[in-house]
Amino acid sequence: MSGRQSTLGEEGIAEELAESQRSISIAEFFEKNKHMLGFDSGARALVTAVKEGVDNSLDACEEADIMPDIYVEVEDLGDYFRLVIEDNGPGITKEQLPKVFGKLLYGSRFHKREQNRGQQGIGISAAVLYSQLTSGKPAKITSRTKGSETAHYFELIIDTDDNEPEISVDETTTWDRPHGTRIEIEMEANLRARQQLHDYIKHTAVVNPHARIEFLEPNIEGPLKFERADGAQLPAETEEIRPHPHGVELGTLLKMLEATDSYSISGFLQGEFTRVGATTAEKVLNNFRDRHFGREMAWQPPKAHEGDIEVAVRAAVANKGKDATKSFARAVAEAVADRERIANHELRSIVDAAAEDAADGFGTTFGSTVREKATTAAWAEITGDTDDGEPRETLASDLYGLVDDATSSRKDDATLKGLADRIASKFVDSEDERHRCTRDELDDYVQRAAESTEEYDDATVGETARENVCEAIWSVMVTVPDEPPNVSTVANGRDTASELLEAMRETDIISPPTDCLAPITERLVEEGLRKEFDADFYAAATRDAAVSGGDPFIVEAGIAYGGELDDGGTVDVMRFANRVPLVYQRGACATTDVVKTINWRNYGLDQPGGSGLPNGPAVVMVHVASTNVPFTSESKDAIANVPAIEDEIELAIREAARELKSFLNKRRSMRQRREKQDKLGTILPEMATKLAAVTGRKALDIDDSLARIMNNVLVEREVEDGTVRLVVENNDSTNAEPEITDIVTVEPAAVEADGDDARVVEMDGEWFLKWSPTVASGDEAVLNYKIDGEAEFDISVDGIESAKLTVDGEP
Amino acid sequence: MSTETNETANATEGNARERLLDLAAQFYDQFERGDVPHMDVPTRTKTNIEYDPEQKVWVYGDRKSTRSANSVRGAQKLLKVIYSIDFLANQLEEDRSSTLRELYYLSESWDLDEAQFNSQDESNQIIEDLEIVSDVRREEFHMRPEESGAKVMGPLRLREQTNRGDREIHCQHDVGQGGYQIPNDPDTIEFLDNDAEFVLCVETGGMRDRLVENGFDDEYNALVVHLGGQPARATRRLTKRLHDELGLPVTVFTDGDPWSYRIYGSVAYGSIKSAHLSKYLATPEAQFIGVQPEDIVEYDLPTDPLADSDINALESELEDPRFQTDYWEEQIELQLDIDKKSEQQALASYGLDFVTDTYLPERLDEMGVL
Repeated sequence: MSGRQSTLGEEGIAEELAESQRSISIAEFFEKNKHMLGFDSGARALVTAVKEGVDNSLDACEEADIMPDIYVEVEDLGDYFRLVIEDNGPGITKEQLPKVFGKLLYGSRFHKREQNRGQQGIGISAAVLYSQLTSGKPAKITSRTKGSETAHYFELIIDTDDNEPEISVDETTTWDRPHGTRIEIEMEANLRARQQLHDYIKHTAVVNPHARIEFLEPNIEGPLKFERADGAQLPAETEEIRPHPHGVELGTLLKMLEATDSYSISGFLQGEFTRVGATTAEKVLNNFRDRHFGREMAWQPPKAHEGDIEVAVRAAVANKGKDATKSFARAVAEAVADRERIANHELRSIVDAAAEDAADGFGTTFGSTVREKATTAAWAEITGDTDDGEPRETLASDLYGLVDDATSSRKDDATLKGLADRIASKFVDSEDERHRCTRDELDDYVQRAAESTEEYDDATVGETARENVCEAIWSVMVTVPDEPPNVSTVANGRDTASELLEAMRETDIISPPTDCLAPITERLVEEGLRKEFDADFYAAATRDAAVSGGDPFIVEAGIAYGGELDDGGTVDVMRFANRVPLVYQRGACATTDVVKTINWRNYGLDQPGGSGLPNGPAVVMVHVASTNVPFTSESKDAIANVPAIEDEIELAIREAARELKSFLNKRRSMRQRREKQDKLGTILPEMATKLAAVTGRKALDIDDSLARIMNNVLVEREVEDGTVRLVVENNDSTNAEPEITDIVTVEPAAVEADGDDARVVEMDGEWFLKWSPTVASGDEAVLNYKIDGEAEFDISVDGIESAKLTVDGEP
Repeated sequence: MSTETNETANATEGNARERLLDLAAQFYDQFERGDVPHMDVPTRTKTNIEYDPEQKVWVYGDRKSTRSANSVRGAQKLLKVIYSIDFLANQLEEDRSSTLRELYYLSESWDLDEAQFNSQDESNQIIEDLEIVSDVRREEFHMRPEESGAKVMGPLRLREQTNRGDREIHCQHDVGQGGYQIPNDPDTIEFLDNDAEFVLCVETGGMRDRLVENGFDDEYNALVVHLGGQPARATRRLTKRLHDELGLPVTVFTDGDPWSYRIYGSVAYGSIKSAHLSKYLATPEAQFIGVQPEDIVEYDLPTDPLADSDINALESELEDPRFQTDYWEEQIELQLDIDKKSEQQALASYGLDFVTDTYLPERLDEMGVL
């Protein structure tokens, strides 16, 4: 993979655009297409340039197995804005330089299938060109390759007449980074899209938790720092895969045909596509043959009264000796009679085989002329085209059976006969004596026959009936063995290529492999959210790979909720494609559509009207990783509404949302519990006081009762005659696993504990008794120990939410 | 007989306070043990009453509801119970009394908001709970209902202990047209002597006045007891004492509709809400005079059609264990069949004297009372 080479050409769109505009200068081309390239306004241009630069840097680092450390600075120079992007990547050599930064539309990797960022944007070269066109300044590039003593400084200009980069300055310089690349461009821009710029940087940090990013722009004091998540790894390396036959467009197919070294289509299919071996290639080829050549109609062999192939063949053969001729003719006749149906080319091979046998047996050569005559004679018998035969009737009676089976039983006999008769005429009238036709031609036969039947026989032959008849006939027709056109022929004929494409799509082919994808993974999605959003709750879900068209894809979703997140209005939706944030056209994106259709009330979020973006302090992120993310437009700001992808997006979000729901439910029940505890905390003491007054007895301690009522875990201490008893009573409905630390001022002796063994550690004259029992619902666990004399205790209990815990620790 | 009654009353009264304090002590002990304070009371619904063949009355079954402090509602309820106990214990100590309604308003003065009653239903229910759990009657707590008991007219002489000393009263000679007012605790009454043949409980005031005006009590030596709708406890208690202590047959005369049958039911079998006191309040031997659905047909009385609520009430009575006798099933089904109801006053369609001259004598004769 070569991120440095990610350019406009990926999907061939820009390339096609440029191709059709070769006569104009690259500058003019850029000017005409800048809306598609993301440079249509000064505000947008800045975001796009930053985006291309950062994507480029991330790719460069990842390729070199370096954890990215990227610095982005936007500076207002008055007339222009200066953009600086620095990375700690491998650096680049002078030779690579023009390829990476200079030449717009460089490279032709359109048939590479891999998840990479470059697919996303249009390349840093467009930013370089934009800066040159608006400010007239060259791009200033500093680079230091790993291990080299010095750095290089270049200034680079693109010759807009021939689209060739020129290096105008090439100096040795020093740079404090041990390796990396720094690019500095000046351009016309403004900060009106400041929010999007910030979003882009922040979202990039979320989705690339392995990267460290610093960002400085004129309106902030000091750079914003987005630190690397703990334990974040470089994304897994992806396997590059060849395209899948179901995932290519005609234009791409044509280019692949032009570029391939293969001669045959079969070789081309096996060599250039994934999941295509010899068997699959043959299936595709057969489908291609059907489209290109058509199939041959296979007729039933003549019945006894209809014709005699043996006689006909014998009559057609002259001067080959009586026995040989007889044997040959019988062999042909018998082979034909063995078959249920026979097509012209099949007859031809029967004749060939019989001729070989006859030659072997009698030493007589049956040459091509003889074979031709024999074939013609036998075919005439089969199709009824003989002196006393009426071909139309012969074929019609054959077709009648097919038509009858294919139509509903309510059709009357005359209609069926009329239809079969008329279809038979079409075959008879066709110029091709082999009765060869494509599916379209067959459709045409049937349509015309059906229409005539309706017109003359006053019958109805509906659309379904016509389709069924057509299908029935097509299914007995036979694919021809003709050699399909070779690659160069197909490449030169758009229609033929289109036939091949249809054949590829029609053929069942197993889904593409998915190891070409590198999802962020559930853990790192959560980690990314955690480090950029101060929330109470995080959840993430990564779906298994799925396939849409010929492209594998993986959807991941994450949700952050509560904490410092803004509770003002609707939730924030962060969208990503191949780890690149999408900042524009939120409303047009499939991601947003899916978020809107989910019933968030089910998941505990407020959603006025039951649809649309939910309200609340939450962020929802969706990442679609694919070898070919379908976008709504060339500017690649919004994911298109592809059902298979939408379904996966929904499932991923729901998966994460289910966790949110249980968090919110739990939080709600904890709140209710706290409210109950508060309320009972006033009522019960009053009750106890009143009871003591009414009964005239001493004041009551109600902690235990309260713990029982609250289903709390109760930790109680009893001290008697130097024996300390710590009792954990679990009144909850689930297991409790408290971690208890009892700090005692004298050394505890004879420590005996239920469940987990207690450990004693001395520290500065205090003894730390650590005990982590597992206490089943309704059960209790006891820790006993002895102390010598007076002691003070300090108990702390972890592992149980404070609202569910009652510690009655003081002796 | 009088001394015995008084002694029993005093004894239970002394007990009342003790029993309340016992209940408080029970809660105290629960707290002290670290338990969740709670009390069990019988479920007071139609499905949880059963016939006590020994007493011949309907009492609560085995189903219990628990009032426990393990929910905020339950804790609040128990808190109110304990405050009520405190209040009642003081009231008994000071030998004062109050009405149920006064208790409700009095809770407003309690310092703790959570202990105050939200409605009078709530305070009534708590008093009922206390009655059941402590097995002490409300009257012994010195709690009385707001409305006073009903009135009696007939040949009976009695002595009543009042706050202003004992009074001897003859329920015909010493009273006005309205009759003798039954006190809240009829156990303070001592029967002296009487010429009564039977007790006639009458639902409506209008009918009672008609009987008195026509001199029915005099002519037939009847003790006419005015029920005034659903009879107060005092009325039912007095009726029971008249039956038990004086051996008088008791009859009940009401309108001919489902609601009136329930009035009869509470006199004879006890009410669902006070089934714990059935053996003290109910007179299982009480007989129903009418107006029976049968009478509506037989006397061709003016009628109103049954409303939907009447039909529902009748159907509900068919399922009420108290009404599951051949007699009531027959009558109720007949009424559903004719789809009609009549008031007592409908008898006036045959003249003002018809009820006293014809209907009652005929019915009472039929029932074997006369």
